[in-house]
Amino acid sequence: MIGRGILLVVIGPILIGLIGAVLPALGYFPPLGGDHFSLAPMQDFLALPQLWRSIGLSLFTGLVATVISTIIALILPGLLYGRKSFHLLRRYLAPILSLPHVTVAVGIFFLLQPSGWLMRIISPGLTGYTLPPIWALVPDPWGMGLVLGLVAKEVPFLILMTLAAMSQINTAPLLTVSRSLGYGPLASWIYVIIPQLWPRLRLPVMIVLVFSLSVVDMAVILAPTTPPPLAVRLITLYQDPDLTVRFTASVAAMAQVVLVLVSIAVMMAGARVLAWLGRMAAVSGYRSSPPRALARFIIDPALVVTSVVPCLAAVAGLLAAMLWSIAGVWRFPSAWPSAFTLRFWSGVVDGFGDAVLVTAGLGFASAALAVVLVVMWLNAEDHRPKSSSEHLLVLPLMIPQVGFLFGLQIMLLWLRLDGTTMALVYAHLLFVLPYVWLSLAPAWREFRPEWLHLGASLGASPLKRFFRIRLPILIMPILTSFAVGFSVSAALYLPTVFAGNGRVTTLTVEAVTLASGASRAQLGVATGLQMALPLVVFVMAGILARQRPARISYFS
Amino acid sequence: MNRFITAAAVGLVAVAGFIYISLKPDQTANSAYDVALGSGQGKTVYFNAWGGSPAINDYIAWAGQRLKDYHGITLVHVKLTDTGEAVGRILAEKTANRTSDGSVDLIWVNGENFASMKRNGLLRDDAWAFDLPSWKYTDAKALPALVMDFGNPTDGLESPWGRAQLVFAHDQAVLATPPKDAESLRQWIKDNPGRFTYPQVPDFTGTAFLKQIMIELADDPSVFSQDAATVDTAAATAPLWSWLDDVTPHLWQGGNNYPKNYTNMSQLLGDGEIMIAMAYNPAQFSNDIKEGVLPNTVRSYIHNGGTLANIHYVAIPFNASEAAAAIITADFLLSPEAQIRKANPDVWGDPTVLSISKLEAKDQDAFNSLPRGIATLSEDDLSASLAEPHPSWVAVLEKGWQDRYLAGN
Repeated sequence: MIGRGILLVVIGPILIGLIGAVLPALGYFPPLGGDHFSLAPMQDFLALPQLWRSIGLSLFTGLVATVISTIIALILPGLLYGRKSFHLLRRYLAPILSLPHVTVAVGIFFLLQPSGWLMRIISPGLTGYTLPPIWALVPDPWGMGLVLGLVAKEVPFLILMTLAAMSQINTAPLLTVSRSLGYGPLASWIYVIIPQLWPRLRLPVMIVLVFSLSVVDMAVILAPTTPPPLAVRLITLYQDPDLTVRFTASVAAMAQVVLVLVSIAVMMAGARVLAWLGRMAAVSGYRSSPPRALARFIIDPALVVTSVVPCLAAVAGLLAAMLWSIAGVWRFPSAWPSAFTLRFWSGVVDGFGDAVLVTAGLGFASAALAVVLVVMWLNAEDHRPKSSSEHLLVLPLMIPQVGFLFGLQIMLLWLRLDGTTMALVYAHLLFVLPYVWLSLAPAWREFRPEWLHLGASLGASPLKRFFRIRLPILIMPILTSFAVGFSVSAALYLPTVFAGNGRVTTLTVEAVTLASGASRAQLGVATGLQMALPLVVFVMAGILARQRPARISYFS
Repeated sequence: MNRFITAAAVGLVAVAGFIYISLKPDQTANSAYDVALGSGQGKTVYFNAWGGSPAINDYIAWAGQRLKDYHGITLVHVKLTDTGEAVGRILAEKTANRTSDGSVDLIWVNGENFASMKRNGLLRDDAWAFDLPSWKYTDAKALPALVMDFGNPTDGLESPWGRAQLVFAHDQAVLATPPKDAESLRQWIKDNPGRFTYPQVPDFTGTAFLKQIMIELADDPSVFSQDAATVDTAAATAPLWSWLDDVTPHLWQGGNNYPKNYTNMSQLLGDGEIMIAMAYNPAQFSNDIKEGVLPNTVRSYIHNGGTLANIHYVAIPFNASEAAAAIITADFLLSPEAQIRKANPDVWGDPTVLSISKLEAKDQDAFNSLPRGIATLSEDDLSASLAEPHPSWVAVLEKGWQDRYLAGN
């Protein structure tokens, strides 16, 4: 019952929103004179110049970013397992996870553009350039800059999911058995652990794939523009002054959905083939690891480099953004600003005070609501078997946002809920809930019901058992999932603009507006605030969880 | 009991009287503005306007302060990244049959967005703009563009706010003498590969640059004032495409990337990535110097044959929640006080739409004594201007550009 209610809350608006895109795609949209179905919008869409290159670029960047992120997230924990750095992994993931995508993109762009920080540091000393070079690292024709940004953001998310999955299987004993049968560490990991991790990672990987294929805010900054990826063109079409272009835009939105479905199919087929190859190798008894030297000097370093470089680029870029926010004058090729000023920060309360409050309020409300709903959902599992319908919870992440947001907006208008706080929190909830579920569910299921049975045998009521036993034991993952939810809400752009009637300004909305023009200094300030807010929530969640006097170290 | 009945009766009479008074037609109300003045006080106006420029945002905040003081109106600036966002929202409202209580009260538009909103019936259509008290300070005979937005009659659906002209900028310390017509620009780009670009079409400024070159190269520019559907567009645009074919391989980043908009171009000029920037706002580069984006050796210039000029407006959607307060706001934005401040290069530097000679003496003085930004051309220097082509040419240029250059090189 609770489950059905929650599913309705999540899926209802998306289906209605999709109808709002399908009808115009078929030519039916009376306000613009489309009163009968026709194929004309489809033909207009197919006649878009460079359409297939846009689609190809989307596919390429999305698939490459996802494959790289997945490989790193599956193998890196294996390489580090049992070493000290393994624990560091978990500790340093959260801060990077909390960064909004657009913030990472801005940072990478500040670092790598022709007049970016990197070029300023090595010029004119190493390059001889006194003017910025006329070639560019980003955006590059292949979209590798976008791939870099996506990998920097998605690897931490996927590794966290891997760690959660690892805690659900008997990693250590399995590895011991495998090693004792003569398999090397990497081979053991690949033959024994990954096949068990993969089913638990499939959903998160799909989410990453969908996100990478439909990302707009990052792509606008890092992707090439001749032509841009499909998702960016889709937004341009929706913003065209000629309103009849909206028919074409709706077809593009549907094409985006199809693209996503096809990519998921390709990805899953690829995984099947790999799994089959792996099984063949395992059955054949092939167990020799790659030569030690190869592993030590090529495979390990390559993995570490591919996973560290994007993070480093993001961090260095954010430092550059911070420098810009206090730079009075900073001309090429100086490595540092030649004059510093705090004037951009002194106006921060006037300029961004409201945005900070709105971001925090929306984040708290939607994350808290999502945590309550997810806890209710999971708690109900005590009485019914885990159903496959839970995968529907992530539906909002599986469908490109623009595909259903316009339709959703019309529904909100009909209900006269547009621009209300309720509508905003609801729109955020759609995207926050799946992430909260993904981060909380594994830990929740790790909980042993024996504790509850023990409580029951001592005469505790169900309510008391919930609040005195289950909640305190699970408080750490609950607070973490709250922080994850908060950072997801803080990063949302399109849903905020659509449900808020454009009247609601969060830090991300400010940052995207500023990125479309204005000064780098102000963008730097907005970026700093954007980093700080989710980070504060993560740190607070950590402190809160630790300060419980009767903390039970169930999850060490 | 008796006392209760008496009280109820008195109350009823009072309510009836109040209803009578409020329903009675107001004999003195003779214009949209007078009606508005009565009911618009103390309301909140949601002004949807592009929010990418700190100078403009600050000016709108100042206007809000004044409206609060004079009329108790709260002006909320909804900062758009693209005017299309707000147009889309109004369209969604029309779709949902929201004929009142709309989310937009006032919107900053011109050209193609105006044409599109007018065509789709998204604007308040009682010619309110001609009723504004400040309208008397304008002179539509001397400046026909006040009532013709890109050749499209405004019909009083929008009220003029400011004037704009396409200007170019160069850093004197890097480039002493910039090329000042399409032909010499072509040669200059070939001689200085990688140092020139323009915002990617369909950006407003990028499209304006194409129009500028198109008009400069045309044998007979008069065709551009006609609807493109009635003209041989292939022949009219051929010189432009051949010009672009020549220069594109030598553009910034080899023509494989373009800046998003004109503020991005200012940054690129400041970083030294490019040597010539452009903006559809004569005061832009003085503002950028003030903000520290550009060094103070930057100067602006226009092409010898003149550059494109147009007027930008504010309009009220058909379903505005607070149309009355929006009308008051539009009048304030057109008032001498607001126009003087807007024209001040230390504030925004947007040229006025008022006719100076029609103003009172003190306002004339105020206009004449305004400082000019270090990189802002004088009215005289800007006097060579070109009219915007008919709005239908935008689609021709966008399509033509995308067909040819969206693939990069």
